[in-house]
Amino acid sequence: MSEKVEIGPFHTELEESVYFKLEVDKNRIVENVEIINGFIHRGMESLVTKKNFMQNLILTERVCSLCSNNHPMTYAMAVEQIAGIKIPLRAEALRVIADEVKRIASDMFNLSMLTHIAHTHQLMKDTMNTREHMQDLKEVIWGNRMDMSSNLLTGTKYDLDERKIKIILDTLDVVEPKIRDLQERYENDEQLKSKTVGVGVLPLKDALEIGVTGPVARGSGINNDVRVKAPYGLYAYRPEIQPNVSLSLREEGDVHARAMARFGDILEAVRIIRDVVTDMPEGDTYVDKRPHIPAGEAVVRTEAPRGELIYYLKTDGSQKPVRMRWKVPTFTNWEALKVMILGDKVDNVTMILNSIDPCISCTDR
Amino acid sequence: MSEVIPKLFRINTGSCNGCDVEFMPTVLVEKFGVSTLGVEMVEDIKDANLIAITGPLTARSESFLKSAVSKIRHPYVVVGVGTCAITCGIFRDSYAINGPTDKIVDVNVNVAGCPPRPQSIAEGIAKGVKVLNQVMNGEATPKTIDAIFKDFSAPESFRGRMDLNPDMCTACRTCETVCPSTAIKITEIAAGHVHNIWHNSCCYCGNCAYFCPTGAIFSTNSFDTVKLQSEKYEDVNSEIIKSSTCSSCGDTYMPPSRGLLGKGYVHDDVKKLDTKICSKCRKEANFKRMYA
Repeated sequence: MSEKVEIGPFHTELEESVYFKLEVDKNRIVENVEIINGFIHRGMESLVTKKNFMQNLILTERVCSLCSNNHPMTYAMAVEQIAGIKIPLRAEALRVIADEVKRIASDMFNLSMLTHIAHTHQLMKDTMNTREHMQDLKEVIWGNRMDMSSNLLTGTKYDLDERKIKIILDTLDVVEPKIRDLQERYENDEQLKSKTVGVGVLPLKDALEIGVTGPVARGSGINNDVRVKAPYGLYAYRPEIQPNVSLSLREEGDVHARAMARFGDILEAVRIIRDVVTDMPEGDTYVDKRPHIPAGEAVVRTEAPRGELIYYLKTDGSQKPVRMRWKVPTFTNWEALKVMILGDKVDNVTMILNSIDPCISCTDR
Repeated sequence: MSEVIPKLFRINTGSCNGCDVEFMPTVLVEKFGVSTLGVEMVEDIKDANLIAITGPLTARSESFLKSAVSKIRHPYVVVGVGTCAITCGIFRDSYAINGPTDKIVDVNVNVAGCPPRPQSIAEGIAKGVKVLNQVMNGEATPKTIDAIFKDFSAPESFRGRMDLNPDMCTACRTCETVCPSTAIKITEIAAGHVHNIWHNSCCYCGNCAYFCPTGAIFSTNSFDTVKLQSEKYEDVNSEIIKSSTCSSCGDTYMPPSRGLLGKGYVHDDVKKLDTKICSKCRKEANFKRMYA
């Protein structure tokens, strides 16, 4: 006899609105799952064609506030590809710094939500407090805790001087030992392990078939990090700063493995920021504040905190894009949810959803 | 006078998750002071009496919000978190947006910001609690409520409320063009131009300040954006950029601002320049000087 369970759309453990219709057997094991989304659909693809290129720098940031540096950066890269503009090396370095700072804050948020749902309160508090250092850093350097507004077509809006570089390095010195300590505690905490190990397993075969990306892929032993496989920006100019993905790779494919893969990402991001900041290329930070954008098409991909992000942009020489389309990381990771949730306990559903670090506002747009 | 235990529930009606992500540390990190308010997070909306709503209210969420709100027991207080909840912000022009939320729910307190700082959200919750206490005791909500958390310091670099220096502005409309949430509007009047900034539509991105050629529009680090619903439409920064009368032909014209002249005449003292002459008369005067 199966029972119907509904979760959502407004639920305390769901960061964003999504609606689960589940069928569970008498042991509370999920037999059938239907995931309904669309709650965050704001008509972004229509909106971007109504706004000009300068406005879209900010609008793309609001596709999703957790990867709010990757979106405008990828958009700017697409515009630069169409206009045939090569941006200064210093701007490439500044973009990488903003990107990796966002990656640390985003992954730390996901980890604190995991411990929040797993009811390991001390771990959650410590993760959240560690993340606050990154939030304060963003506020001091870029002026906002979430939407940094750092990108500009043909470069970046912000620049770093000696004082700001020192602030970044000091923050990293404070944060890194705390992250290493947290990593060890996540690895060994019995309460957390009892709730996450063996939960929401995504086997390698399914992961390959579905084509998952980002930490979800790395948790199942796949390395498809765009920064390594198809380097862009500064990752292409200076291959030595590319992340060492083997530090993030895990074989287990469960919730715990995905959390630990994120720790690998965070620590590599810390290392990348240090490398870039201590060896900043000299020069301008942008080419032209308001460049002319000719007609053309471009496809660009980058590695967002959640995985591969693809932008398609078509322009016709006017002030507004004709078409802009995204393929966001959660789009592919979403399909993997069905594999993960089926055959698992109904109480674990929100935790499994959290483990793919869903960005529903990216996916629904 | 009885004290009420505020029971908080968050509803996301389609936000970009910035406000939701900032809401979690506000509630979970001790330094923001929400724990001092005695607020309790509840699992079920039926138990709640303090609702925080984020997002611009997408078409898909509308019916679910209606049914969720109908389950809450009266009296309750609603805090709109983020610019989207107040005016739909940057998403206002989209076909998929049915907001803002005050079309469906009676909002009591608004917290503008994109996303608001946790300190602002905490202040919003605190004011919500105060309004809730007043409602429970049958008192009327006053026009304004004083700040509850006193510490409003933000780093110098923080992008807060925008401000305009009318002396520097020449109404070139760059800010209006680059503003993604159409929070800036410049209207021509007899005496010059009116420059309006709606703080409740602003997404605090700093695009206007960055692209402004004269530095007339700038962001302050003030984040005092928590207002009651009754103040919703009054939170506007309005300045008049005066036009001049040409000393030669008597026409009204828009004079170049101090900032713009400073850019053009880098080595000269701008004050010495005769700016009381319109561009048409200046052209003629120059022509006569050179060729007459």
